[in-house]
Amino acid sequence: MTFEMIGNLIAAFFTLSIFSFLYKDNPFYKFAEAIFIGVSMGYAIPLAYEKAFIPFVYSPIFLEHRFSIIIPSLMGILYIFRFSKNLSWLSRYPIVFGMAIVGMGVPQAMHSSVLVQMRSSMLPIDNINTALIFIGTITILLYFFFSKEHKGLYGKVTNLGIWYMMIGFGASFGFTVMARISLLIGRIQFLVGDVLGLIK
Amino acid sequence: MSQKKNFFEKMQALDRRYIYIVVALAIIIPLLIPYNSKTYVTEPTENLYKKIDSYAGKEDRAILLCFSHDASTMAELFPMEVAILRHCFERKVKVFTICFMPAAKPLMDYAINTAKEDYAVQSGIDYVSFGYKPYGLFLPIVLGMGDDIGEAVDTDDQGRKVKDLPIIKDGGITNYNEMNLVIDFAASAAVFTWITYARARFGVNVAAGVTAVMAADNYIYLQTGQLTGMLSGLKGAAEYEKLVDVFATYKDKNGKPAPREFSKEILKDSWIKLSDIQNRSHKTARIGMNAQTVAHLMIIVFIILGNIGYFISRNKGKN
Repeated sequence: MTFEMIGNLIAAFFTLSIFSFLYKDNPFYKFAEAIFIGVSMGYAIPLAYEKAFIPFVYSPIFLEHRFSIIIPSLMGILYIFRFSKNLSWLSRYPIVFGMAIVGMGVPQAMHSSVLVQMRSSMLPIDNINTALIFIGTITILLYFFFSKEHKGLYGKVTNLGIWYMMIGFGASFGFTVMARISLLIGRIQFLVGDVLGLIK
Repeated sequence: MSQKKNFFEKMQALDRRYIYIVVALAIIIPLLIPYNSKTYVTEPTENLYKKIDSYAGKEDRAILLCFSHDASTMAELFPMEVAILRHCFERKVKVFTICFMPAAKPLMDYAINTAKEDYAVQSGIDYVSFGYKPYGLFLPIVLGMGDDIGEAVDTDDQGRKVKDLPIIKDGGITNYNEMNLVIDFAASAAVFTWITYARARFGVNVAAGVTAVMAADNYIYLQTGQLTGMLSGLKGAAEYEKLVDVFATYKDKNGKPAPREFSKEILKDSWIKLSDIQNRSHKTARIGMNAQTVAHLMIIVFIILGNIGYFISRNKGKN
């Protein structure tokens, strides 16, 4: 029995253990769930230690004697105080620093999510697509204008906005169904193809 | 005496576990009895293919593949990663890969190893994996690569200095001017970071390979031209697999490789029998789409039956 076959059999066992939850909660499912969490953590922690702590904290401070690195390292350590009731306020300092970086992205996010989107909604209405986009944008924006009661002609226009949104939610839900089925197909392809060798 | 239930009422009270069995059968049977469902290629997939193909054989051009997902979405994203890597290896497009999630690292290596099975490509010459970089470095690397890739990334996953690698040195690849296409494979909004920082600031072409769940969110960027192309879930992967087979890995009558330029006419007339493709990793998504088609038909039937049942029982209640 090759290493690949053993690996496939173990993976098949855990896949079926997880699927067994569809029948009802059981010890196999709980065991597979616990192993998954343990393996994920066991894999991520040494990798982060080797790829983050060693090259960016240990090596610069202890080998290259760049002592300025101590300041951001200490700031990072403050995150640990999140677990202390009395000293949790200290963890806000690195969070504040992180928020400053988020602030840096605001002008660029405005550009890509607002300005460019607005520009694309202001195209000449010379085909059916641009006409539909124009009507959809206006009616949905009007729907979210709550200073006027949605009654009469105005109510009919905002109702069209609801229809646009419903179509959008439907498309989104359709994609979600497709995604979930795809994940199941992936697992069944593994079980039927890789483990049993029945897919040609 | 209890009232007799009709068919639809019985269906509505059906134990959900029977539905699970039907769903499983709707997927297993088409996988075991494969048929050739036609794969129609959509424009976002075409655009991405054409963009990558335009870099074919160019020493001073490269693309970056960013793996931003873990094994839970591998079924959708892995086939498209393999298809794009095959396209690059076949057409001699220089590829860089990177990931910022620990769980993405083994998937990235697995995709490269799967794709390079059929090609004599070498790490550091034809492709290079920058490996796993901590997520805290995501933004510094995205912005830093706009100035100097070697400075921003420093070492590859084998610990070699990126600046000294032939793939970088020989083509004079320094920043986004040369590495002008980034494809992010994600099950999250990671693509948005590339659009916001790399595209808005440096004008780099950004494309996405996303799970179907995320596709709807990304269409707005596609419509505005901020995404060069997009592969949506298993369907997008199946489309790209087909394009690679029809154009990039095309063989002439004597069986010699004869890659073709993209053409809608050729694509229209192309018909590939899946059973003729020996390597299963080259057709994973298309086999999956056969099962997907049957599963979707089944869900449509369920929705119709459920709605009929709902209206019948509502009317009964009113009466």
